[in-house]
Amino acid sequence: MLGAYLPILLLVIVAVLFGLVSIVLSSLIGQKKPSPVKLAPYESGCTPVGTARERFSIKFYLIAMLFILFDIEAVFLYPWAILYKKLGVFGLVEMGTFIVILFVGYIYVWKKGALEWE
Amino acid sequence: MMADPHLLTILVFFPLAGCLLVLPVWKRPAAARPLALGVMTGELLLALWLYASWQGLAALKPILPGYLLVEDAPWIGAFGIRYTLGLDGISLLMVMLTAFSFCVALAVSWRAIGEKVGLFLALLLAMETGIMGVFLALDLALFYLFWEVMLIPMFFLIGIWGHGRHIYSTVKFFLFTMFGSLLMLLAIIALHLLHAQQSGVATFGLHQLIATRLPAGTQLWLFGAFFLAFAIKFPLFPLHTWLPDAHTDAPTAGSVILAGLLLKTGSYGLLRFGYPLFPQAAQTLTPLFYTLAIAGIIYASLVAFAQEDMKRLIAYSSIGHMGYVAIGIAAWQPVALSGSIIQMANHGVTTGALFAMVGMLDERAHTREIGAFGGLWGKIPLWSFFFLLFSMASVGLPGLNNFVGEFLVLSGTFTKSPLAAGLAFTGIVLTLVYTVRLVQEVVFQTERKPLPLADLDRREICLLALLALLVILMGVHPAPLLDLIHGPVKILVGGAP
Amino acid sequence: MDMITIPAVNMTPILPEIFLSVLAMALLLINVFIPSGQKSYLGYISFVGVVAAGVLVGAGWGAPVESFSGSVVQDNFATFFKIIFLLSAGLAILISDQYMEREGCNHGELYPLILFTVVGMMLMAAGTDLMTIFLGLEVMSVALYVLAGFNRANLKSNEAGLKYFLLGSFSTGFLLYGMALTYGATGTTRIAKIAAIVGQMTVPSANIMLVAGMLLMLTGFAFKVAAAPFHMWTPDVYEGAPTPMTAFMSAGPKAAGFAALLRIFLVALPTLQVEWSQLLWVLAVLTMTVGNITALRQDNIKRMLAYSSIAHAGYALVGFAAGNGTGAAGILFYMLSYTFMNIGAFAVIILIGKKGEANGTVMDFAGLGFKQPALAVAMSVFLFSLAGIPPTAGFIGKFYLFSSAVQKGYIWLAVIGVLNSAASVYYYLRVMVYMYMKEPTEDFEWTRITPPIALSLLISVAGTLIPGIVPSVILQFAEQAVKLI
Repeated sequence: MLGAYLPILLLVIVAVLFGLVSIVLSSLIGQKKPSPVKLAPYESGCTPVGTARERFSIKFYLIAMLFILFDIEAVFLYPWAILYKKLGVFGLVEMGTFIVILFVGYIYVWKKGALEWE
Repeated sequence: MMADPHLLTILVFFPLAGCLLVLPVWKRPAAARPLALGVMTGELLLALWLYASWQGLAALKPILPGYLLVEDAPWIGAFGIRYTLGLDGISLLMVMLTAFSFCVALAVSWRAIGEKVGLFLALLLAMETGIMGVFLALDLALFYLFWEVMLIPMFFLIGIWGHGRHIYSTVKFFLFTMFGSLLMLLAIIALHLLHAQQSGVATFGLHQLIATRLPAGTQLWLFGAFFLAFAIKFPLFPLHTWLPDAHTDAPTAGSVILAGLLLKTGSYGLLRFGYPLFPQAAQTLTPLFYTLAIAGIIYASLVAFAQEDMKRLIAYSSIGHMGYVAIGIAAWQPVALSGSIIQMANHGVTTGALFAMVGMLDERAHTREIGAFGGLWGKIPLWSFFFLLFSMASVGLPGLNNFVGEFLVLSGTFTKSPLAAGLAFTGIVLTLVYTVRLVQEVVFQTERKPLPLADLDRREICLLALLALLVILMGVHPAPLLDLIHGPVKILVGGAP
Repeated sequence: MDMITIPAVNMTPILPEIFLSVLAMALLLINVFIPSGQKSYLGYISFVGVVAAGVLVGAGWGAPVESFSGSVVQDNFATFFKIIFLLSAGLAILISDQYMEREGCNHGELYPLILFTVVGMMLMAAGTDLMTIFLGLEVMSVALYVLAGFNRANLKSNEAGLKYFLLGSFSTGFLLYGMALTYGATGTTRIAKIAAIVGQMTVPSANIMLVAGMLLMLTGFAFKVAAAPFHMWTPDVYEGAPTPMTAFMSAGPKAAGFAALLRIFLVALPTLQVEWSQLLWVLAVLTMTVGNITALRQDNIKRMLAYSSIAHAGYALVGFAAGNGTGAAGILFYMLSYTFMNIGAFAVIILIGKKGEANGTVMDFAGLGFKQPALAVAMSVFLFSLAGIPPTAGFIGKFYLFSSAVQKGYIWLAVIGVLNSAASVYYYLRVMVYMYMKEPTEDFEWTRITPPIALSLLISVAGTLIPGIVPSVILQFAEQAVKLI
């Protein structure tokens, strides 16, 4: 019964091989003319400035985390919007509960001062 | 059944109630001591009253044959564990010994224990409950409960009031006995389940489990587990190593209880549970049992001869004396078994007395080294007199108590195994050698160190006179005790009557 | 337009969970709206909430009620475990306040997090669908990771939180993969349906995917209940986490792991019992032995109890390996008594300890027996119970578990079990030796015993002694709880 998964296995093998073969081939037959500009990290075409290991304020992480949290949760609203009529009152109550819980989190975050920059 | 106002329950739990009474006043020795004395005396009186009326009780014929009093109530329904207590002649003798030994223990520690007195007394009382329970329980799970419970106070007794390497000794004592008893617990469970499979009845009752039919191999394993637990308590050579340490480092009261009672729980367990439950396996292992017992007697006697510490010497002599009890049980024959049981009581009295006397000496001289004494006969004649008396009893001088037990054991064993009896007899000679050396060096030699020693005070004289009286009484007129255990022994040896 | 049919939803089976979630959220809000400082009232509120939830849970005792199309059930099995979780949470709340105050980390979030953990554990016990169980596990774990690292100022606590998080997520991966494979093999995540499908297979053990799924799930749960050789995280996490949380972690979540494990293996995979029994045999022996042998050498008492808790998971696994009704009921009883004796012991540790997690070694118990007699007696009761000495609940529990193994014919497993138990006596005795037989090395002020801790000690002592002397009632409950499984 594992035979049903054979195509997936084949796909995995092909994918790995493709990657490997491209890298190996290019390193074997490609021309190599290194220059400082070529070796520099790509930054949208601009010349890199400063060190790459810059330290960021922890506030960025906090904001990023909160953004992801609330952003991802908002995604759930779209399918609900599409099926709004079919789901009826049940869906309304369900999503209402969901949003209330989210709102509790929001108030908590707000009162904790996590949204203030300074 | 009969007009039984739960006498056995009272017998078991009265000391525990006393313990709970003592705890609130544990910081006031003046209040705690009389309280404990009252409880222990009450317990002794109850035991003596039971003894006085045992023939009347026997005439009432309770539900179990041979028993004088039986109490039975459901306890843990899910496993079929019942609260079953039963008193027959053997248990009654042990109950009297217990109640008496605790009074002795209290008397010897009246002054010797000066610190945390209340706690000490509370632990003694708690232990009395445990030991009473062991001698009365007829449900294996209940028996196991008491068997473990009596260890805990002993652990603290040696650990807190002991001297020398007392912590090492008490932990060793606890671990040894725990190890054996846990395997026994497993055997109890296995037996219970096998019985349930066969009869469909979940029970831990001794008299129901006896009926279990067991294949020889299984029986051997299960008996092995029981035997191990009891042999450690006994203690049989080579499982005896905890005993000298525990004895040496225990306070005097602890030694009295250890020698007088805890060792007896091992022999009692073997004859009450081990042999009746697994008769064939016991038969198979008899040669091993003989060998260990005789090896123990000879080994312990030789080691005792080399001891410098009086307490340690008596501890080793204990192993030797218990060897006779073991031989009597191994013979599993009415006369020898009666001898063993009598010997259990005798040893409790004699060795208890010896430990008490060494304790008294230690209190005065602050040493127990044999080499430190000498010529005590001239300095403290009363002490020396009693010491001589108990030593002679311990050797088995005719007319004193140990003689009766040893004589019965050896004559009974002779009919079953002349070889074992003969070898055990040589042990008596060895006992004589080391005991005479002890008496000679301590009592009769010329004085080696000028020790300021006071002779016995009134409390000590009363106590020792009482013990001496018992030693002589049990020696010249053992018949009442033999009558008491005659019926139960016949039932044990002959299977069902 | 055709409406999507909404399945009938019966809220009663998850009423306690809903109640606790709402309470936890309310507490979060109360915490931020009322100025910091006095945070104890949050503890009182949550304790009352836990008691109320206990009443709600207790009312559900009786015939099973299914809900959410059979992915959650309210049966006696779940109810029994939920009571264990609530007890562990209630006791943990009682012992938290004083400790958190002393360590300077009495943030109000503690109590909501404990409540969320309980909700997760409850879902694990009540879940009859692999997905529900997994969701419960995640809710529980995420909250626990935070609780382990709750003492932010303490490096060890940070380490505990991080370590627990990394290894916990790792094990969750195993578990989820196992569930996925099981789904692949059977086409369903409903436990009852898995049982039916596996029951129809002629030789279930020949189905590689199913067996692999079972193995991975077992591994995942073995991490959660700290069974050797998946126990490596336990000592560090238990040592580093704030003491009340260690107490909580070693009781509640461990029981939750067993609840889910029992339900999945006994209900969904009974036809594979021959296979998993052998595995659990090995796991039980390893867990007991590793736990006990390592505990012998510990001086830090929290670490010692961490290893002892591994050993105790091993005893419970003995009953699991037996896989019969007695074994399952034994696990239930054992987990209940373990909750009392273990949290009780940790409560005493909290009272012995000083700021900055100082005074955490066995030696610091020296002289306790006579300075604080009541406290020492309580500790002795817990230790004797942990060592399995009658008349305590620990003894009855071990009795139960080992009889199940003997009943099943696993004599050697039982023998190894009791030998382990004998070895364990040594390290429990050691604490007692220090308490009663050694003089204190330094004279210091004993911490005041606050009423909440006194209450928790009282409950723990009662819960350790009463089931040891009259276990019948609880044994009956435990047996009724496993009847349906």
